[in-house]
Amino acid sequence: MGINKILKDTLIIAWIKSYPDFRRNPLWLMLLSMINAIPLFFMLMFSSGGNVIVHGLIGAMISSVAFAGLIAGIQDISWDRYVKIRQIIVAMPVHPASYALGIALAPLLISIPSLILFGAITAFLGFLNLEILVWIIPVLLTSWAAMSTMGFMISTYLYKANPMILNNLSILLGIAFIFIPPVYFSEVQLGGLSWISIIIPTSNAAGLLRSYVGLLPLSTEMAIIRWAVLIVMTLVFITLISLKSKWRED
Amino acid sequence: MEIEAVKSVDLCKVYNSKHNNESVEALKSVSINVKKGELFTLLGPNGAGKTTFLRIISTQLLPSGGDVHVLGFSAVHEPEEVRKYIAVVPQDVVTYNNFTPWEYGYYFARLRGMGSTEAKKKAEEALKAVDLWDLRTRICQTLSGGERRRAIIASVLSSDVDVLMLDEPTSGLDAVARRRVWTVLRELISKEKTILLTTHIMEEAEMISDRLAIINKGSVVVCGRPDEIKTLMKERFRVVINGEFRQLSDYGEIAKLGDRNIVYLKTQEEVIDLLKDSLKMNLRAEASPVTLEDVFVRLVGGLNNNGNQ
Repeated sequence: MGINKILKDTLIIAWIKSYPDFRRNPLWLMLLSMINAIPLFFMLMFSSGGNVIVHGLIGAMISSVAFAGLIAGIQDISWDRYVKIRQIIVAMPVHPASYALGIALAPLLISIPSLILFGAITAFLGFLNLEILVWIIPVLLTSWAAMSTMGFMISTYLYKANPMILNNLSILLGIAFIFIPPVYFSEVQLGGLSWISIIIPTSNAAGLLRSYVGLLPLSTEMAIIRWAVLIVMTLVFITLISLKSKWRED
Repeated sequence: MEIEAVKSVDLCKVYNSKHNNESVEALKSVSINVKKGELFTLLGPNGAGKTTFLRIISTQLLPSGGDVHVLGFSAVHEPEEVRKYIAVVPQDVVTYNNFTPWEYGYYFARLRGMGSTEAKKKAEEALKAVDLWDLRTRICQTLSGGERRRAIIASVLSSDVDVLMLDEPTSGLDAVARRRVWTVLRELISKEKTILLTTHIMEEAEMISDRLAIINKGSVVVCGRPDEIKTLMKERFRVVINGEFRQLSDYGEIAKLGDRNIVYLKTQEEVIDLLKDSLKMNLRAEASPVTLEDVFVRLVGGLNNNGNQ
């Protein structure tokens, strides 16, 4: 199968998985943005000023891509298996990579409105410009890749689990990865435990974003290490998926 | 020599359970040939192995032994080739609620590699064929069960493939919706498509199949045209009698259904005699030729000497 067909099918599947919601369920998209924005309201209410709101906006941007990526990786795969759409696609001339990438790409498309919103506010506050955006986009894409592949890995290893259980699990994991580690707040607040933020993909990406907008001083070596951890984690997830997942059952 | 649409040779499938080390033999050396342009039905009770067979042919599942060829390509070793020529509607498939029938037709045609113009044309043809054109912009959530099923069928029709595989496509549909699906399938046959479908609905198998195989406990019990299969019973007629009729077993073999009895008879004369006797006893009796269901029950369910299943 040619690369053109694989890419074209990826876009079609991403479109199938996102366009109907854009068009017919805009309230759901608003809800997604609001979930990411909820911590910002609390931060505004209880913060003592400073750059707390910018920390929150960074967290909201990471959350927009990572939360949606994780949920799509777990829920969409298990749901497609449950409703048997996957069986139809397996029996079609569609490469498994197109299916996986398409499903992963859909939440990224869905998160674009909230990313634009949070990015615009950050720019309005003077923490984002085109030069910084060049760095921010790869960080967001890598955190999306890490969390989507983590989602795929979970749905691959728990492929016999009830989709309802997987739905709840995805939300619980989303909360665990987005709202508990230093994603909405600075890792500096963890003191001696700040190293934890490096091993969690979401907080690692948030730390990188903070360094690019000037909220967290990071040496070049530390930035490289953080990038490496993020990429290696994604590759590990991809390897684990490829070891276990089967396009055709045996 | 013409290549068969589907040819399975000694196809076997064993499911092994990791939890209790038990294995279930879902298919036992199944060999079936489906000719091009025919509607072939796999008829069997629940758990007979029909879905397993269909999933192996449609390259979703690997067999434990044997091989199956679709249009000359091995579904085991050349799945990519096979997938170019087939489309499948799984059993109990559920639609995306936010999707419209038009989107099913159009996007699944696009995934087949069609360009936008061609996909639109095929989607339109498919939706008109399943009588959903007027509902094409309604989201599936607002459609009836039959309409949703037809939306899924439209998605495979728009693919314009040579071999269609449908796993119990009318299960759960009312009589009108079921007949509409049958009409679509027979129209496809007139366009020289090959259809392989599974069902446990006898009337469906008898009405629309060119040939069928009765499958039970993973093995093919019998294969042939519906009228050929019906000749496997030594009796040609059945009489259904409502009410108590003593000495009924003197007339022929009986199947008891509560207060009703089905009596199987060989000749028209025997039928007339039984009808006369029933009327004398003021019992309602109805005669007809034996049905596929009668043969199926005889072959799969079996009747004991007392006529009880």
